[in-house]
Amino acid sequence: MSPTVIGFPARGDVRRSRQSPVTMTCDTSIDEIIDAAIEAAPDCLRRRVILQAIDWSMVAPHKVSILLSSLEQAHVAAPRWLSRSLLLAGHVLPDQTERHLPSDLAVLNRLNRATGEPHERDKAATLDALAHDDRVDCDVIAALVERLIGLSWDEEAVRLALAHGHRVPDALSHAASLLAAHIERLPAARIRLAGSSTTHTLAEDLVPAFAAQGWRVDVTQAEFGGLLAELMGLQRNVDGLIVLLDFDGVAPRNWRTPAGEGFGLLVERAEILANALTEFSRRSGAPLLINSIPLPPAPAAGLLDRRHMLGLRRGVDFINERMLDAAERSNRIIVIDADQALSILPLRDQVDPRLWYYGRIAYSADAMRALARAFAQTWNLLRRGPAKVLAVDLDNTLWGGVYGEDGVDHLVCGEDSPGNAFRAMQQECLRLKGQGLLLVALSKNEPDALAAFERHPGMLMKPDDFAAWAINWDPKPENIRHIAADLSLGLDSFVFLDDSAHERDAMRRLCPEVVVPEMPPDPADRPLWLRRLTCTWPLRLTAEDETRAAMYAAERQARGLRASAANFEDYLRGLEQRLTISHVHKETIARAAQMHQRTNQFNLTTLRSTEAEIAALMEDETRGLALLGRVTDRFGDHGIAIAATVTIDNGEAVIRSLLMSCRVIGREIERAFLGELLQEIRRRGVVRVRGDYLPTRKNGLVRDFYALCGFTAAGADEMRSTWSFQIGETELPSSEFVAVSWGT
Amino acid sequence: MDACKTEIRLAYPEIISIFEDIFQHTGTLTTATTPDDVERWDSLQHIALIRALETTFAIRLSMDEMMEIRSVGDIENMLRRHGA
Repeated sequence: MSPTVIGFPARGDVRRSRQSPVTMTCDTSIDEIIDAAIEAAPDCLRRRVILQAIDWSMVAPHKVSILLSSLEQAHVAAPRWLSRSLLLAGHVLPDQTERHLPSDLAVLNRLNRATGEPHERDKAATLDALAHDDRVDCDVIAALVERLIGLSWDEEAVRLALAHGHRVPDALSHAASLLAAHIERLPAARIRLAGSSTTHTLAEDLVPAFAAQGWRVDVTQAEFGGLLAELMGLQRNVDGLIVLLDFDGVAPRNWRTPAGEGFGLLVERAEILANALTEFSRRSGAPLLINSIPLPPAPAAGLLDRRHMLGLRRGVDFINERMLDAAERSNRIIVIDADQALSILPLRDQVDPRLWYYGRIAYSADAMRALARAFAQTWNLLRRGPAKVLAVDLDNTLWGGVYGEDGVDHLVCGEDSPGNAFRAMQQECLRLKGQGLLLVALSKNEPDALAAFERHPGMLMKPDDFAAWAINWDPKPENIRHIAADLSLGLDSFVFLDDSAHERDAMRRLCPEVVVPEMPPDPADRPLWLRRLTCTWPLRLTAEDETRAAMYAAERQARGLRASAANFEDYLRGLEQRLTISHVHKETIARAAQMHQRTNQFNLTTLRSTEAEIAALMEDETRGLALLGRVTDRFGDHGIAIAATVTIDNGEAVIRSLLMSCRVIGREIERAFLGELLQEIRRRGVVRVRGDYLPTRKNGLVRDFYALCGFTAAGADEMRSTWSFQIGETELPSSEFVAVSWGT
Repeated sequence: MDACKTEIRLAYPEIISIFEDIFQHTGTLTTATTPDDVERWDSLQHIALIRALETTFAIRLSMDEMMEIRSVGDIENMLRRHGA
């Protein structure tokens, strides 16, 4: 049998062969039943009948509209399962429903609505977040890929399908023809595949698995059972060897043999394998990736399986041990931990005995895909190297709370719940530091935020654990570029951890080389998640790894990172920010007062106004005004995030307070808001405006705010600086990145 | 409604899209179709076919049934037996 080259099969054009998701039924009596169910939808939901059984892809969009409006009239919210079925069937849900959907379904809704206009495509950037999230609903992924193909957004379809290929094979088959074209363009990895069982299905699974890591794999397969010959022979024209190992293939047991003798044979087989591996590494320059033998799916000696010589587990452990010994002495053999790779599957689903008896296929289809993924990830780790730098956010990532708002004493981190989850996260960072990664703090914060590590008793990390930091209000992508330059490291060796979807998105757009995983929203999930992050896994550990961070620390100097924000503008433009301004009224006055009480950083005067004081300003509209702004963007609703109060006296307006939530700092919301505030003042017949800045320990951020907005300095002392603005003489501040409207 | 009619020819029209996905087979399918008529229907892809049938119809085939299937008609008989 000659080696066969396996490539990705060219498949039929999906766009042509697949029908659009929504099609009409032709059966009138069924139509009538569905119509009746739609009419009685609120009752159906209450009694949990009929609606679950409807295939919504057979129902016309206008009937779905009727369904949704009848639910709305009855004040019944569409339950999540119904929204999901409607969206999977290709229907579009209204905006107010979309707002309550999880991000995967919200994106599906946007794609269902999309008509393929170029400006809609930008929204697909949220797909990157879904591509990095292992927990997204498999059916939704498959549907998203189908929609993207329908819209001809090929690049996005391929990226999403590959990212989830190991768990959503349907997504791969939807995108098959696109994948073939995509894979053609990737750098090649010539892999020789050998095994102690059938390797054909693994050869097929390796193709998308390698593509997901950015490689085109050209596989040649060794002859069946030719494992030892492969290892002992000389490999030519290949970049690496992958070996698929299984227990029966290495050491088949014969229970007629007495226990001791049987175990002796197993030992002998293990030695042969270990020697062959050593021989391979002596002769070949190419790396060898081999899997450990996974846990046996069933014991041979019951409770004694781990200890007795008859035990399969004992045999498996012995062979693995010998293999790891051989690998340790070579720098070209890498053993993949099959138990870790297969841990997403229950033990009984890791094998499919029918496949074993049918074709000597040692692992189930799901298990084979999981192993293919582990081989591909390891290959990538080997070729591109593990990450060198872990760039971490501070607020709500390394501690709970916001340093600049809550103050150091109120940060959550320590021995007790919930601070212990953040402390565990710090522990994980220290673990990676010990393995040679450099830690970098990347935070939009007061410049002295690192001091929290010293001043807060619950913190595990210390400021000098960080090899570098950028703690300022500049865009993080700019900061990370400066740090990469300072450390003389490529951006592709950086991993960036941040709890904010905005920051992750900005980083992915502006620094695509940086690895930006989707950190779980619950701090409790993060420490284990970080340990599973393969790009941080070391291939080899040396004594130098432990001291690398110290070397950098010695070289470190204060780096004032001031960045110009050239391409940050593209990011802001893509955010589609909307600012809705309204006068404070009965329903919003509590929020206005609360903001005055709480906001520390973006706060010009830090005037702690109460509800009564704000209400007084609104009594006479020629004497004062109070405005609020609600901010929304592509990622959702940020609520009321900016506020100001003004007094008018003697033809002069004084901005007595102007403050903004730190969630939306650095996005020009404040410029757009101030511009509208000034216009509102002009509408009251006033053109002379004064603004004060009262410095505090926390509001250094807005020291130059009025200057940047076109105000002129009108005096300053230690307590305050005063600024004036003549409406009509100077251009009003505004932002091209914020769409402003007035609401109630 | 012509599209409806051609698909009704098989008792389980889902088989058509399965054959399209697994074998890239877009030609005619009847109960008499065998591996000889479908280029990629070899012993290796047979496993993929079995898997697709199992997930689509939520059934599990035995070893024997896996081996017995030698035509589209066999598939339909098997599905009927399983009450799919």
